[in-house]
Amino acid sequence: MSTQDGLQILQSAVVLLVAPLYAGVLARAEAIVQSKRGPSVLQPYRDLAKLLRKGSAISDQASWIFRGAPFVAFACYLTVSAIVPVITDEPLPLAFLADLIGGAFVLALASFSISLAALDCASPLGGLGSSRTTWIGSLAEPALILVFFTVGALSQSDNPYLENHALAHSGAAYVLPTHVLGAVAFFIIVLAENGRIPVDNPSGTIEISMIEESRVLEYSGREYALVKWGSWMKLFLLSSIFMNVFVIPWGLGNADSLLGGLQGIAALLGKLAVCGVGIVIIDSSFAKLRFFRIAEFLGASFLLALIGIATSYVIGK
Amino acid sequence: MQSLSASSIEGVLLDLSAVMMLLCAFACLGSKLFDRYVAYYALQSVVLSFAAAVVAIHLGSGALWALAALTLAVKGIAIPLATRRFLLHRLDLRRDVALSTGLSTSLILGAFLTVFAYLAIRPGTLPHALVASAVVPLSTAVILLGGLCMVVRRHTIAQLIGWLILENGVFLGAITLVATFPFIVEAGIFLDLVAAVLIMITFVSGLAQRLATAAAPDLRELRE
Repeated sequence: MSTQDGLQILQSAVVLLVAPLYAGVLARAEAIVQSKRGPSVLQPYRDLAKLLRKGSAISDQASWIFRGAPFVAFACYLTVSAIVPVITDEPLPLAFLADLIGGAFVLALASFSISLAALDCASPLGGLGSSRTTWIGSLAEPALILVFFTVGALSQSDNPYLENHALAHSGAAYVLPTHVLGAVAFFIIVLAENGRIPVDNPSGTIEISMIEESRVLEYSGREYALVKWGSWMKLFLLSSIFMNVFVIPWGLGNADSLLGGLQGIAALLGKLAVCGVGIVIIDSSFAKLRFFRIAEFLGASFLLALIGIATSYVIGK
Repeated sequence: MQSLSASSIEGVLLDLSAVMMLLCAFACLGSKLFDRYVAYYALQSVVLSFAAAVVAIHLGSGALWALAALTLAVKGIAIPLATRRFLLHRLDLRRDVALSTGLSTSLILGAFLTVFAYLAIRPGTLPHALVASAVVPLSTAVILLGGLCMVVRRHTIAQLIGWLILENGVFLGAITLVATFPFIVEAGIFLDLVAAVLIMITFVSGLAQRLATAAAPDLRELRE
């Protein structure tokens, strides 16, 4: 097994194992901002351990779709963890699998399978959740594609590693309007895709207003553990893409040695702390939007990316 | 006259601040709270003073430095503070309900105006490639957005903010296109602005005391 393979495994392991910690830290930080004590940062691990030990109750109306969906979604997130820059600055052996658009497709597949599963057992809240998530997804997707166009305008590719290099090696590229607008637009999409505050309340327990959470209400036990774990991985992955590709393209580890990978992990934790602070500030200073105003919020993201592309067209780079 | 090309670091910074100003204009257009209007205007003015400082560094001109400082003091601090204290708090204005279109519609209109500004003013149409390439279309877009704010908002204070944004756009175009503009003229414009805000404050406060409203549609009957 070469160093590269080792790094590949290390990268996915980091995503798999650190993602619950990231979610735990976010929850704790939010509680502290709201003058509460909050759960321990290790709470997600305890939840996982508890859920994995339990058996699951499945409706007798549910088909194989319901049983299979958590595994499909989890596999999708694992796939994405192999292809995006998380700890190294050069593509790892499996990175040829997909570019940014391909990665977005894989993430969309995960969301699609969960939506199908929510429809499958015909509980009213599941249908509601699927419909809402799909609606938000259909608004986020065009904005996401435009963000990829801003990436393309900058690095002449839709490969996250090339974008990272283009930004890391040129201060002028970093402050180009195209890039700044694209980054802000992407951050809005990160918030929407993960069901963070202006779009959805991640800790929401009020059924009538939940969006993401209501799709997985029917799950219990092991399957629920996978679904939760998957959603933490998604938050972790999108945050690290946002930080590594758009905000802080420096500090990624050298892809030739395991030491580089370890150094990349340290840098990644620092970057995620920065991103987490941003998310916590937004979570605690904004209110959840009314459902039909989400379109305006995502429209803003679309608009920013569009202006970014128009600017690049005028500036000529 | 020296030129600010898009490839120099000053040019990039100028482009960036122009984009930030455009974003502030959009934020203002997309918000519904009077406090936010003023906050976005203040932010836009601070970015504008930064842009003026960049041009001042590039041209090494003392007058432009003075202008940057004046922008920061008057537009970034004094006008927002005065508006907030004497208009918003005194009239107890919070949520702007006097919009003639929905927020999304006005944002879409704003996007169209921005694209129009880009298409109408390509860098190639300027006399000599004088300035950082995106600044002129962007300042035009800010002017158009300020105008749009005044059109879609029907409350007098909101229209005032729209007008101030429009003026910021004019100023951005002025310092980049004709950086050697006589200082006295720019300073005179400043004085005008301050006077206008002062007049607005007294006028609107008086109106509001008498009529208990300052929304433009209700102001048709000024006769007692």
